[in-house]
Amino acid sequence: MTSQPTSYAHPEALVETDWLAEHAGDKGIRIIESNEDILLYDSGHIPAAVHIDWRSDLQDPLIRDYITPEKFAELCRRNGITPETTCIFYGDKANWWATYALWAFRLFGHTNVKVLNGGRDKWKAEGRSMTREVPKYPASNYPIPAKRLDKEIRAFADDARAQSTAGKPLIDVRSPGEFKGEITHMPEYPQEGVLRGGHIPGAKSVPWKTAANDDGTFKSAAELAKIYREGCGLSSDEPTIVYCRIGERSSHTWFVLTYLLGLDNVRNYDGSWTEWGNRVGMPIERSV
Amino acid sequence: MYPPKLDKIINLFEMLPEVERRETLVSYADGAKNQEPRPGEGFDLEDVRKDEECADTVGVYLQVDDQGKAHFRMTLGPEVQTLTRAMTAILCKGLDGVTPQDVLDLPSDFVTRIVGAELVRVRSQTTYYILTRMKGICKVYLDRQRQTAQVAELAAGTTALHLGS
Repeated sequence: MTSQPTSYAHPEALVETDWLAEHAGDKGIRIIESNEDILLYDSGHIPAAVHIDWRSDLQDPLIRDYITPEKFAELCRRNGITPETTCIFYGDKANWWATYALWAFRLFGHTNVKVLNGGRDKWKAEGRSMTREVPKYPASNYPIPAKRLDKEIRAFADDARAQSTAGKPLIDVRSPGEFKGEITHMPEYPQEGVLRGGHIPGAKSVPWKTAANDDGTFKSAAELAKIYREGCGLSSDEPTIVYCRIGERSSHTWFVLTYLLGLDNVRNYDGSWTEWGNRVGMPIERSV
Repeated sequence: MYPPKLDKIINLFEMLPEVERRETLVSYADGAKNQEPRPGEGFDLEDVRKDEECADTVGVYLQVDDQGKAHFRMTLGPEVQTLTRAMTAILCKGLDGVTPQDVLDLPSDFVTRIVGAELVRVRSQTTYYILTRMKGICKVYLDRQRQTAQVAELAAGTTALHLGS
C-alpha cells in the first residue's frame, strides 16, 4: 500500500481567503479575476483585483490560438505586472477560468502564480468585501517573453493522438455524459460546436469536479493522490495529457496534477474535444 | 422600427463608451429582480423552465391587457449570468406595452447595439436567450388565441347550420 501525502507538493501555489484578505494590498502581488460570466467582475470583485478575460484578453481574436508573446507583454504592462509579480488568480465556477488564465500565464513563462482556494464563490460566501472600483496600476515594463511554452505544458492534437496510440495516460475531465458520447457539451449548456461525441481512445474519465470539494476548494493531498496516483496510475514516470472541451476544465485538473500532486510533464490539450470531435479521420471511442 | 421604449434604451447604449456601457448593463442586471411577479398579479401564460442554453431556471410570465398589450414579468435563478439578467431588465422595460405580435416580429439585431459587438462576439450564447424566451411565450399565446378563435368560428358555424336546418 502506498503511503498518502499529507501535504500538497507545492502548497505555495494556493492561498486561502483569510490570507488574501490580509495581503490584498501587498506590494508585489496582483489579484486577477477570470470568469465565465463576462460581467461578473464589473458587478463586484475583490478589492485591488484586475480582470483578465480568458477569451478577449488571452486568445487571438481571429485564429484559434493564444495571444502572441508581444500581446502578453502588453497585457501585463497595462495591469502593472512585472515578471516578479505574484499573480493570484480567482474566479467563478470553482476557478475553472482562473486556472485557465494561470495556465496561459505559464505558457508565457510567468511562474509566480497562485490560485485562491475556493475562488470567488467562497470569498463571497464568507461575506468578505467586494468593490466595483476598478484599480489603476502604473504601467510596468514587462519584457516580451522569448517564446510561448507550447511544447512544455501544452499538447496539440497530434500529441494527444501519439499519446493515445502509445497507451500513455490521457485524462478526460468532462462530464460522464460527454465522455460516453451521449452529449457534446456539459449538461445545461448548448449542445453545439462538435460534430461527434465520445472520447479519445484509451482516455480515462475523471471529471474535473472529482478534485474539488462542494465549496470549490481543492480536495486534500491524500484524496487527490488516491484519485489520480492510485486510481489512474499517474506518476512522473510517464507524461500525462489532460483535456476537456476547450481546455478550461482541464486547466483545473492540470493545476491539480502539476501543483498539488507535483507530477512532472503534464500537458493541457486545449484544442480538446471541440478540435478532436470535429477533425476528419480522428479515432473516437464511445462507451455505454 | 423598434418599440419606442426599446428604441430609447438602444439609443442610450449606443451613445455610451465601452466602460459606461458595461456599468449600465450591470446596473440593469441589478434591477432584474424588480421584474419579478408581484403579489396579486395574474398572468395569461407562465413558462418556467431550465434550458440548456442558460445556467439556471428562467421564468417568463405574460399578461395581455384589454387593449391586447403585453406585459412581462421574469424570475431568474441565482446562477443566471449577469448579461442575461441585464437583458431581462432591458427587455421587460423596452417591450412593455407592445403587442405579442410585435414581440414576435421584432428583429434581433438591436441586441448587438445594446450589448456591443465585443460582448456578443465573446459570449454570444447568453445575449439572445431572454429575447428567444419572450418570443416563445408570445408565440404560444398567439397560437392559443388563434385556436380559440377557430373553435369559436367552428362553433358559430355549427350553430348556424343547426339553426338553418
